[in-house]
Order: sequence, then C-alpha cells, then structure tokens
Amino acid sequence: MKTYGSEPGAPSPVQVGISELAVSEGDDTLKSYGLGSCLAIALYDPDSEIGGLAHAMLPDGDAAEHNSDRKPGKYADTAIRALLRRMVERGASYTDVEAKIAGGSDMFEFDSFGDGVGKRNVDAAKAELEKLGVPLIGEDVGGAHGRTVEFTPGTGRLVVKTSDENESSVSEL
Amino acid sequence: MKLDVNALGTFYRMAREGAGLAAGRLTHMTGVETRVGVTKLNFMRGREIRRDFGETDRVGVRVKLSGAIEGHSLIVFERENAVRVIETLLAEADPDADFDVDSFDRMSKSATTEVGHIMNSGFIDGWADVLETVIDVSTPEFVEGRTADPFFDGIEETPDDDDLALLFQSRIEAVDTEISFSYYLFPNRTSMASLLERLRASGGIEYDKLDGFDRMAERGAEEVAKTATTLTGIDTSVEIRRLNFVSLETIPQQVPDERLVSVAFEFDGVPSGYLVFLFDEESAHEIVDAMVPASIDEDGFGQMGTSAIKELGNIMASGFLDGWANVLDTAIDHSTPEFVHDYGAAAVDPVIVKLGANQEFAFVFDTVVVADGREFDCEVYAIADESDLERALNDLDVDRIEETPTTAEFQEVDTV
Repeated sequence: MKTYGSEPGAPSPVQVGISELAVSEGDDTLKSYGLGSCLAIALYDPDSEIGGLAHAMLPDGDAAEHNSDRKPGKYADTAIRALLRRMVERGASYTDVEAKIAGGSDMFEFDSFGDGVGKRNVDAAKAELEKLGVPLIGEDVGGAHGRTVEFTPGTGRLVVKTSDENESSVSEL
Repeated sequence: MKLDVNALGTFYRMAREGAGLAAGRLTHMTGVETRVGVTKLNFMRGREIRRDFGETDRVGVRVKLSGAIEGHSLIVFERENAVRVIETLLAEADPDADFDVDSFDRMSKSATTEVGHIMNSGFIDGWADVLETVIDVSTPEFVEGRTADPFFDGIEETPDDDDLALLFQSRIEAVDTEISFSYYLFPNRTSMASLLERLRASGGIEYDKLDGFDRMAERGAEEVAKTATTLTGIDTSVEIRRLNFVSLETIPQQVPDERLVSVAFEFDGVPSGYLVFLFDEESAHEIVDAMVPASIDEDGFGQMGTSAIKELGNIMASGFLDGWANVLDTAIDHSTPEFVHDYGAAAVDPVIVKLGANQEFAFVFDTVVVADGREFDCEVYAIADESDLERALNDLDVDRIEETPTTAEFQEVDTV
C-alpha cells in the first residue's frame, strides 16, 4: 500500500521507484533516482497542471507473459497508457498532454546485452507515444551514464542530473 | 520438502502484501504517513539469526499461528525504535502525556504489545489474502531481551544453528523517521512442507539443496575477502553475507543513494548471471592508494586508479566464482571488468533490465566486505539467471556440499 500522494504532510519529493508511477499536480515534485538503463517518462497537461512520472524497467508489457496489469509502471508501453488514463481521470485533457523522457543508458558492453538494453526502452516509449499521438517535446536519453530526474507537473519542468566520472551536471528539459 | 520459484514468489508477495497492510495500520494508528521500503526474503542459518540479534536491547511481540500456516511469528524492534513509535502513538492519544523513555513501564509495554500485534495482524492478514485462506492468531505475548534467547524461548521449532530459516525482512518508512524492524516466521516443518507442496508449479528443488546456495555464498564471500587482502594489503573480512530472494526491482533500490565506484562482470556457465562490486568513493580512493603507491591525487580516479580498481575487481570476481564453481563442481567464466563511477543504482539497473525480460525474481548473493580500521567497504551483488541457477542446484550432489570444506567464519572486526 502506497499512502503518499495527495495527503497533506506526504514526503516531498515523492520517490517513484522502479516499476512505479505516480500522478500529481501543481508544485508537487516527483523524483526517480539513479536511472541507468531504466527510463523516466514524464507526461503533463500544461493547462490543468496535471502530470505524472513513470520509472519503467522494460520495453514491452503487451508482449510480457505476466504481471503488466498489476504493475503497469514496469513497462514503457503500459506505463504511458496508465499515466494517461490516471491523468485524464483527474481532469487532464488527453489532446493537450505532452511528453518528456530521460534515461535509457547503456552502461555496459556485455555480450549478453546485445544492441543495448537501455535503447530498447527508449524505442518502445517513443513508439507508444507516437501510437497514442502524444508529442515528445524533450528527451535526454542514451549514453553510458546514470541520471536522477525530478519532475514538476505544474511547470512541466524535468530536471536531469548526471554525476559520472567525468562531470556532474544539471540540465532542464 | 521441495520449493520452486513460484512458491518463493508467493512468499515474496506475502511479505510485500503483509508489509503494506502493516504500514497502513500503523498510519491509521499513529496518523504518520508511511510507505513500505525494501522487502526481502532471506535465507539465514539459525546461528546467523542469533548473531544478528547481537547485544542490543530489543522488544518484540510474538504470536502463535494456526490454520494454513502453523508455527510462530515474531515482530522485533530495537528498543529505541519501539520507543519512537510509542511516543508518536501516545502523543497522538494525549499530547500532554509525560512519557518516560528510560523505563519501559507497564504502559509502554502494553502500547508496544498493541502496536506489535496490530502490525503482526497486518502481516498475517496480508498473507492470508495472498494465500486466499485463513490463518488464526493467538493472543500476543510481549518479549524483551538483549539476545535471541528470550524471543525464541518456548518455540518448538526454531532453527538450529545449521538450519536455514526463511525470514521476511521489511522496512516501513515514515515521514522524517524510519521504523525498521525484523519479522520472523518460524513455521512447523510439516505445515511448511504442505504449503510449499500447494504453491509449487514445477518439479522444484529439494529445500535441503539450498544448503548448496548457502555454501556457494560462503565460499564466494570468503574468496573475495582473501583476494582483497592479498592485493591491497588491507586486512579485510566478511561482515554480512545473505542469500536473498527478491523481486528484481528491489535490487537497485537497496543500493545507497550516492555516487559509487562499481566494477561489473557478466559470468557464463551453469549458473550464468552478473556480478557487481560496489565501493563508496572513500574506499575506492583508499584502494587506489594501497595498490598504486605513487598515484597522483586527482578528483576522479584517472587511468591508473581505474585500472587498479578494475584489476582488483577482476581478481575478486575470479575468486568469488571459483568459490561457486568448487561447490558446484563446474566451470564458470567471466567477462572483462566494466568500470562505472556514477550513481550506484545506475550500475545495477542495467542488469535487472536485462534479466527482467525473462524473470520476475532473483536470488541475490549479498555480501559486505569490510576492513579492520581502514576504509574498505565493498558490497557484492551476484545476481543469477533463474533457470540456470535452478539447473545448477538440481545437478548439485547434496553429499558434495558436506564434503566441500567450510573455512569461512564470520569475524568480529576489532575496533582499533
């Protein structure tokens, strides 16, 4: 049971762990820490200031045998649909929703990783957004470094922090 | 008694569901917003459980279970933690109440018993929900002490020193504070066997073969500490060694929320999987200093520092996997090391993303190596491909486990 979200006094920022998603509005910040190959997907409606963040682990929930219904946040495709549905239920307007994504790095060059496990997450998210007609207006994906993201639905700001061997940086999408 | 991933998965869901209900009831009772942190299933030997109790004042609440699960369950708080919960609770009930922290008086005992019991019931209701059955709970019993003995007294089937027990470990986080506790389930063996029988979806492996897992973990950990000592001259020992069964997404979440130095490998054989060594920055610098005496002090680790850490990782990986291969009587190869200096979780999540395509849970061999008087903290995560691991265990000759000498002993690190 997750009891955070809209209750007063809830921890801020709200942590969105792997396979989780959260919908919120206004100045509440949603945060996902230490993304490597996982993908942060932020959707928001600028008019209603309703938005959500998903921390997806795998690309394709429709193809998965188990558990995408119970944990929609686990897969890029089902996470996007679940975010949209919950935002619309809360009052967002479907046609105004925009998307930003960050993460999907390929940290390792292991043989078993093939073309890269992070890239598959990025591709799946882009395909699903296109299918649903949600414009992707910002992205910071790929590479071989980790990212921590903070998303504010009210402004649509997605702050991406990196901190690898070469440099630490903060950018804004 | 046999178990398989499906049965363990059900136990995991029980643990998570139970922790969720317990957290909800705690919120209801204290008005403090809570959230369930990491949930794990641990396999621990009786000896390690007793060692875990250490010499700390603890209080707990114990109940006897009957119905779908027969045995005892026990919720244990460090005394300080219990005091914190009760303070919150009593402040809620009567803001003017003068609560005396030092003496665990009758009132605080009864408050602890109440809190413990309500959380206990939350857990058990969660299990009953998952199992779609009924579990009956006896009247709660308040227990306190500095060792495991008072908590285990009178329970017919507590694990002996060498028995592997299944432990549910959960953390409930509240705003501004963390309420950690341990939750133990000591089922009667016959009750456990029939439950496993019901939950099993495949042939499964003999419970006793888990001994093989544990022996693998033991040997692997021992080799890591030995190699680290040889290579760096820093005297290291194994502080924690656990065999966890967790959902994949739990693994990066238990990595400290900071920038870490990691060396990662893939390994191939029966079993196959991934091995990640994580050092905090201070320890990594200490290692570089020990291995490369003339190293220049710079912000990052430079080429020399990076290759020193990769070299150490490489030899530690060989030691670890040789330890496994010895127990399993097989060969396990590993890749060249990959060095990552970044958010710790970012070095672990690619592995679970990869494994997640085919499995939901993983056995994680969780090891912490520490040094005597110097900075050398290394966390080791060995995450195995599930089907390979089951195959490896099935192939394992139980008699061989007995023959493989155990030389690893837990050492208390002397403080200088």
